[in-house]
Amino acid sequence: MPTSTDLLQGTLDLLILQTLALEPMHGWGITQRIQQVSKDVFQIGQGSLYPALYRLEYKGWIKAEWGNSENNRRAKFYSLTAAGRKQLRSEVETWDRLSSAVGLVLGRAVEASQ
Amino acid sequence: MIAEFLTWVRFLVFRKKHSELDDELRFHLEQSIAAKVAAGVSPSDARRQSMIEFGGIETTREQCDRERPGWWAGIISQDARYAVRSILAHRWFSAAIVATLALGIGLNTMVFTLVNAVLLKPYPVPNGDRLVSIAGRNLSSDDRSLPFSYPDFQDYKAQASSFEFFEAVTAQPGVLSEPGNPPDQYQLVRATSRIFSMVQAKAFLGRTFLPADAQPGSAPVVVIGYNVWQERYASLPGVIGRQVHVNGQPANIIGVMPKGFRFPDNVDLWMPLLPILDLAKRDSRTLWGYGILKSGVTLQRAGAELDGIAGRIASQFPADKGLGMSVLTFQQRVNGGPIRIVFLLMLAAVGFVLLIACADVANMMLSRSLNRQREMSIRTALGASRWRIVRQLLIESVFLSTLGGILGLGLAASGIYWFDLATSTIRPTWILFTMNYTVFGYFAALCILSGLLFGILPALRSSKINVVDVLKEGTHNITGHRGAWLSSALVVFQFALTLVLLTGAGIFVRSLLDRLAVNPFVPADQITTARLHLTEDRYKDNEARIHFYDQLLPRLRSIAGVSHAAIASGAPGMGSADEQIELEHVPISNPAERPWISFVAQSPGYFDTIHLPLQQGRDFNQTDGASNHEAAVLTRAAAARFWPGENPIGRRFRLFDDKNKPGPWITVIGISANMVQELQGRDHKPLLFVPYRQEGWDNMALVVESAADPLQAMRKTVQSLDNELPLNEPLRLKDAIAEQLWFLRVFGEVFLAFALVAMLMASVGIYAVIAHATGSRTREIGVRVALGASRRNILFLVMRRGLWQIGCGLALGLIAAFPLTHLMASLPNGSLSSDPSVIFVVAFTLATVGVFACWLPARRATGLDPIRAIRYE
Repeated sequence: MPTSTDLLQGTLDLLILQTLALEPMHGWGITQRIQQVSKDVFQIGQGSLYPALYRLEYKGWIKAEWGNSENNRRAKFYSLTAAGRKQLRSEVETWDRLSSAVGLVLGRAVEASQ
Repeated sequence: MIAEFLTWVRFLVFRKKHSELDDELRFHLEQSIAAKVAAGVSPSDARRQSMIEFGGIETTREQCDRERPGWWAGIISQDARYAVRSILAHRWFSAAIVATLALGIGLNTMVFTLVNAVLLKPYPVPNGDRLVSIAGRNLSSDDRSLPFSYPDFQDYKAQASSFEFFEAVTAQPGVLSEPGNPPDQYQLVRATSRIFSMVQAKAFLGRTFLPADAQPGSAPVVVIGYNVWQERYASLPGVIGRQVHVNGQPANIIGVMPKGFRFPDNVDLWMPLLPILDLAKRDSRTLWGYGILKSGVTLQRAGAELDGIAGRIASQFPADKGLGMSVLTFQQRVNGGPIRIVFLLMLAAVGFVLLIACADVANMMLSRSLNRQREMSIRTALGASRWRIVRQLLIESVFLSTLGGILGLGLAASGIYWFDLATSTIRPTWILFTMNYTVFGYFAALCILSGLLFGILPALRSSKINVVDVLKEGTHNITGHRGAWLSSALVVFQFALTLVLLTGAGIFVRSLLDRLAVNPFVPADQITTARLHLTEDRYKDNEARIHFYDQLLPRLRSIAGVSHAAIASGAPGMGSADEQIELEHVPISNPAERPWISFVAQSPGYFDTIHLPLQQGRDFNQTDGASNHEAAVLTRAAAARFWPGENPIGRRFRLFDDKNKPGPWITVIGISANMVQELQGRDHKPLLFVPYRQEGWDNMALVVESAADPLQAMRKTVQSLDNELPLNEPLRLKDAIAEQLWFLRVFGEVFLAFALVAMLMASVGIYAVIAHATGSRTREIGVRVALGASRRNILFLVMRRGLWQIGCGLALGLIAAFPLTHLMASLPNGSLSSDPSVIFVVAFTLATVGVFACWLPARRATGLDPIRAIRYE
C-alpha cells in the first residue's frame, strides 16, 4: 500500500486542493475523503498531511477557521481561497498534460512489446 | 499574486500559536480512535493502534514550523544569541581573537583603500568614470605615452565620434612675475578652451576660458589655481583683472579655480592654447589629450577609432608614419608599471598577514574546541544536528571577525592618514586616499570570509566527536592525532609566510640603507640646492648665461656663513645627463656600439663644495672649457673602465649629442674619487665632470655649502641680478635625497610594518600551540620528572615539535622567498637590491624569534613540581 511519501512530488498538494474544492473540511476529514475516493490506495498520515496543510496555508491557497465538527467537537476547517482555486486549475492542467504524456510513452512501449 | 505575497508577509511577521497545531493533532487522534471503535475495536486497543499509526508528533511540529516563510530567521537569531553569550563568557579569549583580527582586517582594508585609489577609482570629477587620457603611441615599440601635434589633434577631434569632449594641453614651467612681487615658478598648462567645461569646473572667482580667448590675436589671459591665489596674492579678491607676466609675456588674470582643482595633474596656471609658431607644425609634438567618452563607448573602441584616423593621417603626412593612438584611464596612464606592481605586492603582503592572523585564530579556536567538547556533546545528545553545531560555531566566528573588523576599520583609517601624509608631496593630486563603497564592500567581505576561514576547520573538528566517549571521560585524551597535526600545519604555514614578508621588507630596507650610505664625503646636511632656469627668451645663448653665472658666483660666496658655492647641472645623487663617448684612436663606426657615460657640468669650486676628493691631476680652472681648452675630470671607476691600467691624464675623448653629432676632443685633466650621481636605477654609467662653459645649460643647480640656512640670502642675491628669476626647488641636499628615495622609504616602512606584525602573530601562534601542548601534557611531564628526567630532557621534549615546525616553515619560506627577490629586483625602476644575503639575515632573525617563542612556555614546563603535576586535574 503506497503511502504519501511515494506520491509524486506536489501530488499531495493537488489532492488536498481538489478535496477542499468541494467543501471546507478538517484534517481528519481530508485523509478520510482521499482514502475513500482513491479506494484505499492513498492513506495519508498526519506527518505528511499537516506540513502540507501548513504549506498551502502559508502560500495563501487555503485558509483555516475553527468550527464545530459533525460530532460537535471543536475542529479546524480548511477551505480554498480564490488564489487556491486558480492554483488548483493550473495544477490540474499540468497533471493532465503530464499523465497523458506518460500514458503516451507507456502506450507506445506496450505496443512495441506486443 | 498580490494576495499570495500579502499572505507571505503576514505569516513572515506573525507566528501561529503552537497550541493551535496541538489542538488540531489531538482532534485528529481522537477521530482516528473513534473510527476504530466504530469499526468494533475495543477502546483501549483502538487507542493503542491509533497512537502507533500516528507516529511522532515532534517531527510533525518541526516540519510544520519549517513551512513558515522565514522560519530560519528564528533559528539564526537563536544561534546568534548563543554566540554572543559564548563570546562574552570567554572574554579574554575573545579579546585576543578580536585584536588579532583587527590587525589583519585593518591592514587589509587600509591597503585595499590605497590600491582602490591608485588603480581603480576614477578621477574625482563628474563623469570621471568616462574620463580618459589620450596619447600617441609608437606602433613599433611598447611606448604608448607619446605627445602629439596640434594639427594631428585637430584632425582627430574633427573625425573621431567616440568622444563627448576631446581637449588637449601642453605643460611647461610658468614663471609668474609682476613689478614689486618676486617671481615664482609654477606648473603651467596651455589648454584648448573647453578643458574646464569638460570636467564641469567653474571658476571660484572670475571666469574660465571662453572660445574667444583661444582665437589668435585675442588678449592673453591666465586662470590661476587656488594655491597660487592664496600663496602669492594672499587671497585678495581684487586679483581678477590684474596684469601679470607669465614667462615674461603679459597676461590678464581672469579667474581663480576652486581649492583642490589641479586638472589634469598638479597644475597651478592655465592659459589658452594658441596654435601659433611651432605648435602649428605637424612634427612638433607637445600635446597630451584628455577626453570624455560618449556613454557606452569602451576604451578599446575609442582607441581603435583613433588608430584608424592615425593611419589615414600617416598616409597623408609622412612625418606621422608609425604612430598610433592610445586611450587609457588615468590610472592606466600614470600608475602602470612599477607602481602597480608595488601596490599589488602590498595587497599580497597584507593578504598574507590576514592569512597568518586567521591561522592564529584558527589555532586558538582549535585548542578551545577541545575544552568545549563536553558542551558540544551535550548539545548533540539533545538532538542538535552536526550542521546546526557547525553553523552555530561559524556564526560565532563571523561575529568575532566582524568585531575585529570594526576595530580594524579605525586602524585602517589612521594607516591611510599616515600614508596620505607620507606621499602628499609625491603623488598626483587627483589620487584621493579615501574609502568608498567598493572599500566597504571589500571590508564586509573580508569580515565574513575570514570568519568562515578561521572558523571552518575548528567547527568541523569540534562537531565531529564521539558523544559517548566525551561524556564518559574527562576532557583530555581526546586531543587526537589530527588536531595536533592541523595546528602544526598552521604554524608551519605562518612561519613560511612570515619569512616571505620579512624578505620583502628586508629588500626595501637594505636598498634604502644602501642608497643613504652613498657619497659619504658629501656633507648633505650642510648643502643647500636650488635650480635656476635661464630661459632662452631672456638669456639668448650660452655666453649670456655664463656671464650671469660668473657675476652670481662671487656674490653667493660672499654671503655670511657660506663656505663654498658652485653651479652644477645636478647636485650629488640628483641625476645626470647621458651621452655616448668615443675615445681618441679607438673609433667606433656603429653608433649603437658606442658606450654611454653620465656627466655633470659644473663651475670651478664644485669639488670643494661637495668635498669630492681629487686623487690625481688638477681641478678645473677659469680657462678650462673655453674653445680649444675642453677638459674633463673622470671618476676613478670611469677612468678604470676606459683606460684600464694606464694613466688617463692627458688622454682625449669626445662625446656625441642626441643627434649623433660629435663634439670637440676633450682632454682628461684629473681623476676624482668615485661618486654615485644616480640614486635610482641600477646600471650606473661611468661618471665624468665637465666645465659649465663647455656644456652650457639653461637649467642649472646652485650648490651652496653653509652652516646656517642661506636660502633667503641666495634668493636676494639672485634677484638683485635678475628680478624676474625665481629660485626653483630650494632644498637642503639631505631632504632632496630623502625625496628622491621616498619610494624606498615609504614602501620600506609599509612592508616592514606588515612583516613585523606577521612575525608577532607567528610568534604568538607558536607560543600558544606550545603552551597548550605543554598544558595538556602536564601529568606526563610530572611522571617523567619524577622518574628522573633532567631539565634538558624536558625542555627538548616540549620544544621538539616547535623546532620542527619552525624548521619546516623556514624551509618552505625560503623556497618562496627566492623568486620574490627576483621579482622585486626586476621592477623597472630597479632601485631594489637582489642581494640574497638579506634572505639569510631575515631567516636567522625569524628563527631566533621563533625559538624564543617556543622556549618561553617550555621553560615553564621544566619548572614543574612533579608532585603537583601528577595530581593535576
